[in-house]
Amino acid sequence: MKAEAVDAVIAGLKRAGVSVVVYLPDSLLKELYPALDADPDIRTIPVTNEGEGAAIAGGVFLSGKRAALVMENSGLRAATEHLARLGLGAGIPVIMIMSYRGELGETNWWAIPHGITMEPLLDTLRVPYRIVRNSSEIEQAIEDAYNWSYNAYQHSAIVLGGGIVR
Amino acid sequence: MSMSRYACMELLGARLKDELVVLSLGGAVDEWYNAAPHMRAASLFQQQLGCVTPEAFGLAVGLPHRRIVSLDTDGGLLFNLGILATLGNEQPGNLFIVVWDNEQYQSIGGPRTHTASGRVDLAAIARGAGVPNAFTATTLEEFDRLCAEGLATAEPYIVIAKTDGILEPGIKRKQSDGREDKYIFVRHVERVEGITIMGPSEHN
Repeated sequence: MKAEAVDAVIAGLKRAGVSVVVYLPDSLLKELYPALDADPDIRTIPVTNEGEGAAIAGGVFLSGKRAALVMENSGLRAATEHLARLGLGAGIPVIMIMSYRGELGETNWWAIPHGITMEPLLDTLRVPYRIVRNSSEIEQAIEDAYNWSYNAYQHSAIVLGGGIVR
Repeated sequence: MSMSRYACMELLGARLKDELVVLSLGGAVDEWYNAAPHMRAASLFQQQLGCVTPEAFGLAVGLPHRRIVSLDTDGGLLFNLGILATLGNEQPGNLFIVVWDNEQYQSIGGPRTHTASGRVDLAAIARGAGVPNAFTATTLEEFDRLCAEGLATAEPYIVIAKTDGILEPGIKRKQSDGREDKYIFVRHVERVEGITIMGPSEHN
């Protein structure tokens, strides 16, 4: 992940008022996690699976603070149960930033399922999303996701793909 | 050996005033609604397996000056034991957790959970995950004492309450669903904290 993209994600989170980031680290966003850890305005909470992370982020929402769940797109599968209950059941939103593993150009066989399942799962969960492949569009995309989720009270997702993560 | 969950709730409820509560699905919902009526608006009735203690932890992170109480269950905690390791690392000083351990999935008619074998010790798992203040209560006196201590401790604190699985008879059913409960809870948090969580939209 390029330094300009790392900076753009953090700038977008700050513009959206985010002070807590819950994450399960992955390889495509590898450079983002230590940068988040080092930022004095953001509390990071590493978790054991993305479902736990979604529920923690939901709890942060209920406190009036703003949280983000950062992960690989495979985390969507682990979090599906929790996201369905939080969003479709109770209207507690979780805003996700995820890497696009398995998109065209993928060179790892094990990542293929991540690409195939991501968009159908987001659609099934009624989660609107934007796939961003240009660093200059990251900051606005993150702000847009928060604005939408804080009016819909439903999850939204920003997917970082293409040259941002390769 | 084991005790009434409802009697435990009455003891815990009597100790609560300014706290916020997140609770599990199942029979505990209507019991808490009746055992602690003064805490209804301050309680998030969510019915989300595996989400209860993580959500309570998220609240504890966002409101570090306020005590948060998680009322979880054996089935719910076993669904995501990883949260114990997260609590072990993060050490929230304002999170008090009760796990109602009736050794069964009561809400679907009572099939046994993994704690029914007598071999699985949730308190020992919690201690091993880095939460040393994790204890098992089998009597009301013990439960009440652990609640008093846990609510006054500036470290994460877990009480595994071994309860008998007998639903309190004749209690009033809570009518609201998870969405209405969320709004009630959020408006309560906004009022006591003097903050806006779900504010007005740009235009009317």
